[in-house]
Amino acid sequence: MSDDFEKNLRDHLHREAEETREFPRRLRGRIRDGIAPRTRVRMVPQLALAGALVLVAVAVLAFRNPTIINVVTTKITQLIQPSPSPTPQPFTCTDRSGGTSGASSQLSTIRTALHDGYDRIVFEFSAQIPSYDLTRQDSATFVRDASGQPVTLDGSVGIKLVFRNTDVASGVSADAKPALTSVREITEIGNFERVLSYGVGLASSQCVRVLELSGPSRLVVDVATTASASTTAAPTPLPTQPAATDLGQFSCLDHSGGADSGSAMQLTAVRVAHQPGGYDRIVFEFAPQAGATAHTPAYTVSRQASAKFVKDPSGLPVTMRGSSGLRIVFQGASGATSYSGSRDQIYNLPVVQEVEQLGDFEAVLSWGAGLSEASCIRTLELSNPIRVVIDVQTP
Amino acid sequence: MLMDPALGRVIARWREGDRDAFEEVVDRYGLQLLRTARLILRDEALAEDAVQETFLKAWQRIGSLRDEDPGPWLTKIAMNESISTYRRRHRLHALTERFGRLGAGRREVSSEARLDLAHALDKLTAEQRAAVALHYYQDLSVEETARVLKVPVDTMKSRLKTALRRLRELTGAEEAFA
Repeated sequence: MSDDFEKNLRDHLHREAEETREFPRRLRGRIRDGIAPRTRVRMVPQLALAGALVLVAVAVLAFRNPTIINVVTTKITQLIQPSPSPTPQPFTCTDRSGGTSGASSQLSTIRTALHDGYDRIVFEFSAQIPSYDLTRQDSATFVRDASGQPVTLDGSVGIKLVFRNTDVASGVSADAKPALTSVREITEIGNFERVLSYGVGLASSQCVRVLELSGPSRLVVDVATTASASTTAAPTPLPTQPAATDLGQFSCLDHSGGADSGSAMQLTAVRVAHQPGGYDRIVFEFAPQAGATAHTPAYTVSRQASAKFVKDPSGLPVTMRGSSGLRIVFQGASGATSYSGSRDQIYNLPVVQEVEQLGDFEAVLSWGAGLSEASCIRTLELSNPIRVVIDVQTP
Repeated sequence: MLMDPALGRVIARWREGDRDAFEEVVDRYGLQLLRTARLILRDEALAEDAVQETFLKAWQRIGSLRDEDPGPWLTKIAMNESISTYRRRHRLHALTERFGRLGAGRREVSSEARLDLAHALDKLTAEQRAAVALHYYQDLSVEETARVLKVPVDTMKSRLKTALRRLRELTGAEEAFA
């Protein structure tokens, strides 16, 4: 009976806590302001004095040699001018990723312009260009983050841009319909937990060119409007389930994918087996909640040089079998009520030695895998049912 | 306590004064700390103040963080801030309540006065709510909760037991199972 009361209390606390849906932007700003270096304020008199001395020196030199004025203005112009555009890249028909991993930034402006052969969208940031993903899609319907509501933009196809660790300055329009050839509409489709996303509705499927510029930091997305601007190849088909014969290459990098949209997906199974193709396979299988739409939850697979992990949220250490590891984190997923299998599985496979749940808290589900050696991986996203597959290369 | 190597690199940058790295830590732990602080303080604005102060102190005191996951360390600071914020803001209220109790003695809760859990939680002390939030919301063990709140394990057991009994009384759960 006391268990019932404690369960009710636990449920109540979670519900009450989740009323705070996100970390407020204003609070982040207050903290950022609070750690601002104060030395700048103390430097003001010194800087003013130094500036005055420079001006006096320039005035004296100009009096003695008037050409110095041209030299100084040229140098100043070079200093304050934005960086020159890099050599134009070709238009390609593939998804893109880039930016600075871990950089925190704020989107300050979105501009559009019509150019000969392409439409240009410029996303300008107050700091570095944050980590971003650009994905093409075969419709102009997007899913809002975090409500999961669909939104259909003008146009017949689309581009989705996701900026991580980014918020948006006030005054940036959440929806624009520029009078361009291909770009029909640009709409903010998500601004949640510092993940900012935009949908772009396009008149037709076109290749794109992405440029990262500095001074100020800008991400430029050029959408081709004529065949001459595009590569000769037709736009590639949009991503589908990988064919069994084309599972992709193994890479020794961290992987991520899926989308944190809609209601939390429910973990239903975790399977691990060796495959004759030269890899151990870990499969996480998910089902949507009743009435919700199935989607692959956002996930990251991080490689690490030990089999020691930290539990979420307790911070307690866990050491698995093996000498290397993978940490797999799903955002917007839980197995608390849906997963009845073992949460600590031991294997004697060529590489995978153990798979254990590390956390299931606030719809963030994390598992670890202990590996006998550091191995490269590949990830696959499969549907019917939704599965995230991690293949670990074996010797 | 051990640390995720990726997080370790972020902390190393923070130690060197990298504000972006610090903001990554804010992003990673901020929401959970804010939610926990709100459970204790019962007020959004006060919780934000406590979390702001937590991170500013953490920024200044990074030297005292050992080679460990910063989560429990930040939680400790946040709990101290939350409890002291509550005490500061409710000093007068607490005094009034204390004198009120001395005069009235222990008051039983009638069936009509049964509260829902949210209101019952309002009636606990900040220390009791901190214990309840860490144990039942963050799922820390009694020992971990005691460590974060810097009290002996037996004291924590007693505090949780008292808090639960009070919540049962206030919500009428005690009566129902009598």
